[in-house]
Amino acid sequence: MPLINQLLANGLIAGAIYALMASSFSLIFNIVKFMDFSPGAIYVLAAFAAFFFNIVLGLNFFVALILSLIIVSLAAIVINKSVYKPIRERKGSNFILLLASFGVFLIVTGIILLLFGAQVKTFGLPIEKGYDIFGALITKTQILLIVTSLVLFFFLQLFMKTTKLGKSMRAVADNREIASTLGINVEKTITITFVIAAILAGVAGILVGIEQNIEHSMGFIVVIKGITASIVGGVGNVPAALLGGFLIGIVENLGILFLPSGYKDAIAFLILIIFLLFRPQGIFGVKTREEVSG
Amino acid sequence: MAFEAYIINLLILIGIFSILAISLNLAMGFTGLLNIGHIAFYGIGAYTSALLALSLGVPFWIGLVAGGLLAAFFGLILAIPTIKLRGDYLALATLAFAIIMESIFRNWISLTRGPLGLPGIPKPVFFGLTLSGFSYLILVFVFVIITYLFITRLTKSPFGRVLKAIREDELVAKSLGKNTLKFKTIALVISAFFAGIAGSLYAHYITFIDPSTFSILESILVIAMIIIGGLASVPGAVVGAFIVLLIPEVLRFLPIPSYAIGAVRQILFALILVILLIKRPQGILGEFAFKKK
Repeated sequence: MPLINQLLANGLIAGAIYALMASSFSLIFNIVKFMDFSPGAIYVLAAFAAFFFNIVLGLNFFVALILSLIIVSLAAIVINKSVYKPIRERKGSNFILLLASFGVFLIVTGIILLLFGAQVKTFGLPIEKGYDIFGALITKTQILLIVTSLVLFFFLQLFMKTTKLGKSMRAVADNREIASTLGINVEKTITITFVIAAILAGVAGILVGIEQNIEHSMGFIVVIKGITASIVGGVGNVPAALLGGFLIGIVENLGILFLPSGYKDAIAFLILIIFLLFRPQGIFGVKTREEVSG
Repeated sequence: MAFEAYIINLLILIGIFSILAISLNLAMGFTGLLNIGHIAFYGIGAYTSALLALSLGVPFWIGLVAGGLLAAFFGLILAIPTIKLRGDYLALATLAFAIIMESIFRNWISLTRGPLGLPGIPKPVFFGLTLSGFSYLILVFVFVIITYLFITRLTKSPFGRVLKAIREDELVAKSLGKNTLKFKTIALVISAFFAGIAGSLYAHYITFIDPSTFSILESILVIAMIIIGGLASVPGAVVGAFIVLLIPEVLRFLPIPSYAIGAVRQILFALILVILLIKRPQGILGEFAFKKK
């Protein structure tokens, strides 16, 4: 059974990335209430920023990591202030925000393309020998990737449940008006939400960058996979994003057993359509069907 | 002469994209269906008529109609399960549909030759005359007029008024006894039909198609056209097609290195899209902006 084990391992690795993207998307969807594609651009931005600091400038990797996360946080703040906030103030619908996030995605990835060109970049890490775990080869970087994803996820939960800020985020998610009358600074909470979401997507981008390689176009499919994962897990439920992420990662990798590998992406989106139709609230969701269809 | 050919080429592409944008406006602008995957119908039309011509020698005219009808059929297949989804969720489902279709174009290699694409698609023949250049422009122009008049008439008819009522408040339309799901389905099917026609016109003009022509980012281009020109405006869709396709042409005359043109074009049109969404979400000629209910 080594093949299946290897596919399961690959599914876990992909799943860890999807889980990070899904939690980034879910946070914004729950608190700011729209489907935001910009985490896909943040993912690319973080990977290229880390590449720039670490490889082009030759800075220490951890310094590069911190600087990249600062950059994506600032980018998220600028995007929110200059695009999403004015649309919210004009009472533009969720769909306008969704389209604007597409625009943001194209602008950010376009700038990266302009600055770095279309060639694939690599961090040039030495090729590692994988550990043999139940017949599946897994490298140290891949283990690091899965562990980082789980640890971040754990801290996100802790943050949302225990800190004052996390609680005010949940309050804004429940009802913006009531949160505001309770003295919660809604705009500030939204800004912080975007920053946390950007850090989650940014870490995902950097992890994939060091594990594989980076190119300007790598953000689109991954953000839709993240959205799929969060729908499958259950929108309105950030922890479920973790499960959704791993589920999508494993299913699409096991799918290779039955379909040519070129259909890998299609499998995830078929799952998305099936869930939208039959269980739009996701596996763990509590949303009523009425919110999804009329 | 070269300049003339350049202008004709540009006008043909603007014409084809006008048909695409008008058809999307029927679904998105007039009916309020958030269809992000419109490009899939365009691709289905293009592949259908290209494959019919290449493998069976079917004449362009039959392939064109077949392309439109198959796109319409897929519109129906997509609509039956998903048309009841609300707003953003429909957007996601149509997005997934378009990615799955692109994946099929790319991976069903025995039929579509995958990423290699389909070269040598024959140009249409009209009473012994092979249409290309100016005569092709006339052909595209005729189809733009047909689409324009048909959609204009449709949206001004009682049928069209129901579509707008659905867009404004589906519950009200329902309580007036309208079967809103049926109306929405018909709107999507007609929209898909014209997109299929546009795809066929494109395939037989360029004579080569490959999956990248029908990627989701092209869909965003068409959405940008109707947002810029104006939601729920037929002339707006044409204006939008003009503007979006002229942007990269303007760049051609500026001192930008050729490798950067793609990136600059992407940034510029996304910037225009975002600025319009912030400042004037109803577009230049539009009558309607998606607002919070």
